[in-house]
Amino acid sequence: MNDAIITLDNLAIGYDGQAVLSGISLTIARDSFTALLGANGTGKSTLLKTLLGLQPVVGGTMQFHSPDGAKPVFGYVPQATQFDPLYPLTGFDVALMGVYGRVGPMKFPSRAERGFVHDCLCATAAAEFAKKKFSQLSGGQKQRVLIARALAAKPDILVLDEPTAGVDVAATHSLLEFISQIHAERNLTVLLVTHDWPLVRKHAQQIIWLHHGAVLHGPVAELFTPERMAAIFEMEVG
Amino acid sequence: METLKEILSPDFLLRNSVYTSVLVGFACPLVGVFLVLRRLVFMGVALPQISSTGVALALSLPLWLGLKLDAGSEQTEHLLAFAGSSVFTLAAILLLAFMERRGRGLPEGRLGAAYVVAAAASILLLSKNRFAELGWLDLLKGEIITVSNFDLELTGAALALVLVVLGLFHKELLFVSFDRAMAATLGKNVLFWDVLLYLLIGFTVAIAVLSVGPLIAFGFLLVPALTAHLFARNLKWFVLLASVIGGGAAFLGFWLAYAGDLPVGPTDVVLLGILYALGLVVKKLAALVH
Repeated sequence: MNDAIITLDNLAIGYDGQAVLSGISLTIARDSFTALLGANGTGKSTLLKTLLGLQPVVGGTMQFHSPDGAKPVFGYVPQATQFDPLYPLTGFDVALMGVYGRVGPMKFPSRAERGFVHDCLCATAAAEFAKKKFSQLSGGQKQRVLIARALAAKPDILVLDEPTAGVDVAATHSLLEFISQIHAERNLTVLLVTHDWPLVRKHAQQIIWLHHGAVLHGPVAELFTPERMAAIFEMEVG
Repeated sequence: METLKEILSPDFLLRNSVYTSVLVGFACPLVGVFLVLRRLVFMGVALPQISSTGVALALSLPLWLGLKLDAGSEQTEHLLAFAGSSVFTLAAILLLAFMERRGRGLPEGRLGAAYVVAAAASILLLSKNRFAELGWLDLLKGEIITVSNFDLELTGAALALVLVVLGLFHKELLFVSFDRAMAATLGKNVLFWDVLLYLLIGFTVAIAVLSVGPLIAFGFLLVPALTAHLFARNLKWFVLLASVIGGGAAFLGFWLAYAGDLPVGPTDVVLLGILYALGLVVKKLAALVH
């Protein structure tokens, strides 16, 4: 296994200083494909927000490992359904936002940056959506544009929040195949939040499973064995 | 056409009113597009009214303090009105934005209450001011007739500032409006950009209310943006079209009002309404054809 990119040590997460989940200790390995699983209300979104820096840590420590000690760049892919259709933005306009982290106030993306965004759209097979209105794209098409935007940020970690929500079965498989492909080609650390167990089994290497206040963490091959699953559910019954 | 020639003549007596009206018409939609996109239309209704309460209060202060503003103190009076309008609008928008961020209560209810209380307070303040009939009520009703060179310069400078800030920072303002989480993840200070946007909206509203009154300010904030949204293919097109509709309607409205001896402000707003209705019809017909 590669070295760690994020280490959580006895982390407590929550809102307004109140922990909703505590005692989280785990590492996310560099270049790994990790799935974050859990039913609604288990703290999945809170953990994701805390990792992204959108929510302060309630207790414990969260450590990022990079050569210069800086926080890694997250390429965040939110759910496509959350965007207000009122915004008259094209696919390119949305993907261009990925470079805004590098382009400071009073500056505008250079020709090279715009070219890079176009390359990202090509890489996600979304170049044909560049001039179309983002609000008029299908769920799967929006996800490809949003992944292009995340790649345009030149991320250390690609974080996808339920990318298959509102996407049909065929597009879901195509999207996950694509994410696996860019993970392999670019040696990109991927953190995927999902409900979809079969997809996790097929694509992920590591699992973080939030289950009834417990945090289960390990390789898919170890955690998804019949014996281990039986133990988890017997533990719950007991 | 004779009327148009007269209005365009450099010697036209009311030329400052034309310039002010067109300036406000061009500038208000630039921040109005953000009100529409962020679904803050109710704020667009309440703010001009709160701003006019600030004007009424500021203009009442000298009377309450026993100070006499004679005919020569017009600039002082307008600076006072500008201060009242700005302070009230900026304080109100920051307070309302703070309460909205907390996400508690009923935002529409708060804005509705702010609107109605501000409107009533303006009437109360002016009813106790014996100079109200001399022109201040006209201002609050949107009678854009007497605009001094000083007022025009103040309006021009303030709106130029808004234009420059919007031009320089529209990338950040759009980013935090469209996707706050991604903006924060990429290191943008979401709170700072939110506050800057609210200050810009508040400042523009304050200037517009002082120049054309609350009703017309709201009309120029909202209707050009709604009309342009019908045809906008991208954000740049949306902003430019809204601004051109606002500026064009302001000029056309002044021309119609002058020719027909009508009040300028209400003529502008009705004209904007007609343009919006025409836009809806054209959009519907285009959809049927396609």
